[in-house]
Amino acid sequence: MPVSLLDDWSKRWPTHDGVVWYRLHMNVRNANQPIGLLLDYVCLADAVYVNGSLVHRDPSLTEPLSRSWVAPQYFLLDKPLLQSGDNIVLIRVSGLAAYQPGLGTVRYGDPQAAYSEYRKAWLVRYQLRFFDFAISAVLGGVFLMMWLFRRKDTTYGWYALNVLIGAVFEWNYIASDVWPFSGTDGFEAFNVAVYVAYVCSFAVFLLRYCERRWPRLERILFVLSLLAFACALCAPGWVGPSRGPWIAVASLIYYIALPTFMIHAWRSRKTDQRVLALCLIIPMVASVHDILLFYELVHDRTYLLALTAPFTLVGMGFVLAYRFSAAMRRVDGFNTELQTKVDAATTELSTSLEREHTLALATTRMSERLNLVRDLHDGFGGSLVSAIAALEHPASEQGAKPTIETLKELRDDLRLVIDTTAQDHSRDLAELLGPFRYRWTRRLDAIDIEARWQFESLEGLHLSAAQQLDLLRFLQEALTNVMKHSGATCVDVTMRVAEENLHVTVQDNGRGFDPVIARANAGGAGLNSLNARAHRLNGAWVLDAEPGTGATLKLIIPLITAAS
Amino acid sequence: MTSIELSPALIVEDDPATRRRLHTLLVGLLGADAVIAMADSVASAMATARKESFALALIDVGLPDGNGVDVIAWLHVHAPDTVSVVISTWGHEDTVLAALRSGATGYLLKESEDIELGLSLKSLRRGGAPIDPVIARRILAQVSGTEPMAETATVPASPTPQLSERELEILHLVARGYSNPEIAAMTGLSRFTIEDHTKKIYRKLAVNSRMAAVFEANSLGLLK
Repeated sequence: MPVSLLDDWSKRWPTHDGVVWYRLHMNVRNANQPIGLLLDYVCLADAVYVNGSLVHRDPSLTEPLSRSWVAPQYFLLDKPLLQSGDNIVLIRVSGLAAYQPGLGTVRYGDPQAAYSEYRKAWLVRYQLRFFDFAISAVLGGVFLMMWLFRRKDTTYGWYALNVLIGAVFEWNYIASDVWPFSGTDGFEAFNVAVYVAYVCSFAVFLLRYCERRWPRLERILFVLSLLAFACALCAPGWVGPSRGPWIAVASLIYYIALPTFMIHAWRSRKTDQRVLALCLIIPMVASVHDILLFYELVHDRTYLLALTAPFTLVGMGFVLAYRFSAAMRRVDGFNTELQTKVDAATTELSTSLEREHTLALATTRMSERLNLVRDLHDGFGGSLVSAIAALEHPASEQGAKPTIETLKELRDDLRLVIDTTAQDHSRDLAELLGPFRYRWTRRLDAIDIEARWQFESLEGLHLSAAQQLDLLRFLQEALTNVMKHSGATCVDVTMRVAEENLHVTVQDNGRGFDPVIARANAGGAGLNSLNARAHRLNGAWVLDAEPGTGATLKLIIPLITAAS
Repeated sequence: MTSIELSPALIVEDDPATRRRLHTLLVGLLGADAVIAMADSVASAMATARKESFALALIDVGLPDGNGVDVIAWLHVHAPDTVSVVISTWGHEDTVLAALRSGATGYLLKESEDIELGLSLKSLRRGGAPIDPVIARRILAQVSGTEPMAETATVPASPTPQLSERELEILHLVARGYSNPEIAAMTGLSRFTIEDHTKKIYRKLAVNSRMAAVFEANSLGLLK
């Protein structure tokens, strides 16, 4: 039957899956000139015979069919195959009714002209697709890496997914067989599912780009994609031939998503969103054309999307890279700002530390001064006042003697203050007691009192300066009493550490006394003073004395509180 | 018991009361016929010492025209036979150490009882040298190189005296407050030998040139 090309036999025989032979008459004036034969479009697989001789055959002419539809075919014909006059070209086309089976226009003539036309079609229909596939794979890979290293920026992840799915979809246009599927239905069904997934991922990408999350819609899109894949893999014989509705649904999503985004971008007044919107106008226009072509509402052989896709891809990549660099600039700015803040905080901290240090130093100095003043007035001050009183109101005919006594007390006390204050505080009790022991040994020795000292485990024992002074004052008071009142020939001073206590004993062999009387006499100034010292040391003291048996003074100081 | 001659003696002291006190002490020790000269300043002390030589010089630190340590250093060079004794008071360690390094062989503490000063002078007459725990401790610190003062930094050539083990032992015991009889009992030495050791320690402390002495005194901030 005569047909005009381009011929789609599914219009005529809607259920015919198989072979259709096309016979063409080629009128050649001069067979001495070779001619070029150009088959623009054959769907899906074909074999070509010229004057009964085979000039081309696809690898597979039965299912799984080769996929020759993607590229034009060109043959150079010459004698003896070519004859002057009428030549018969037989084209055996294997196709499936569901996938637009048929033959496109066929041309013959000057080999140069035919070949250049072939190259042009080859470029547009095959090479550009291959380029799209490659650039999609590369961009997808790059942005996948970016997302992997920066998971929280999901825009990149969705873009990578979308572009990679796009690459898989492009495979449809460059594959020469149905691998890895076993038949054309399987391949086509999968391709439809990929298209659905591509559109869904694109919609989510646009949402993410606008920094939106619509979980319910996203779930629906996800389920839809999953459903498409499930159907494609389980029932390719159903999905493949009836792919129209799938493509319609997916395209609907696409045509809702794109304008929605564009409106949003326009309202958002954000430069990058507007640029992306502009980038997307191109594929939208192109895809309108392609969809119409698919449903054969326009008559053309070229899917425009292939031509525009590289621009779109690069445009989107540019926008995302711009976005990334903007984020980086923010990070840089943040770092600078942070650095400034850290510097300011550091300065403030060091200033305040310095201030606190100065304050602490001042406080320490103040408390040291207060300690010194306290140390002075505790012993020194009292003695001074009593010396003044004694000079102003002489109580007896003793002349200067009591005053001298008081002044000597002052001197001895000053010596203790100096010993405990002016020395470095690293000395232990044994070292501290050295000068005291030396002085009192000499002093007692001069009036024929033998001083016997026994110090046990005082090495390494540290008291605070105030405690040192109180302890030395206590001892000095005790020894002064011995020196002045006891009439002893021998005094034993023992100090030892036992059970966390410091035990101090001053024992003389003098005439002894009755403590009750001693307390009553002269207000018991010496004993009161001992009491005050012992109290300040948190210590307890006992005086064991009877007339005629000497006196024993015992002091116990707890060292736990002493150490703190 | 050996005894050295302490007469004629020179007292360099600007406070009349202290001068009288020291004079009385010396007379009590040396007898009424002792020759005792007086000076009240660095200049007059040096002038007096140029004219005649003294067996003993008691020298106060704070003199109107300078530091007594200068006089000690001067005597150490110009009258090495004179026993120089520094008279010190509260917070005496730095002064005493500086004087010992300048050549003093003894020191008296003004705040001591007369009877204690007498003991020190008797010790000097025996050829010994008095020492107390605070001074012993400081000498030990210097010998062990942990002297807390800055002079080792400012005087590069400041020698660290090499003390014998016996001398170190004695210093340690003195620092703990043991009296000479106690130390004698513990070391098996005679109580007077201990003072000899002290004197040797002092001699080792003294630097030998006048310049070094002045430098030393300077570094201690005693020369103004």
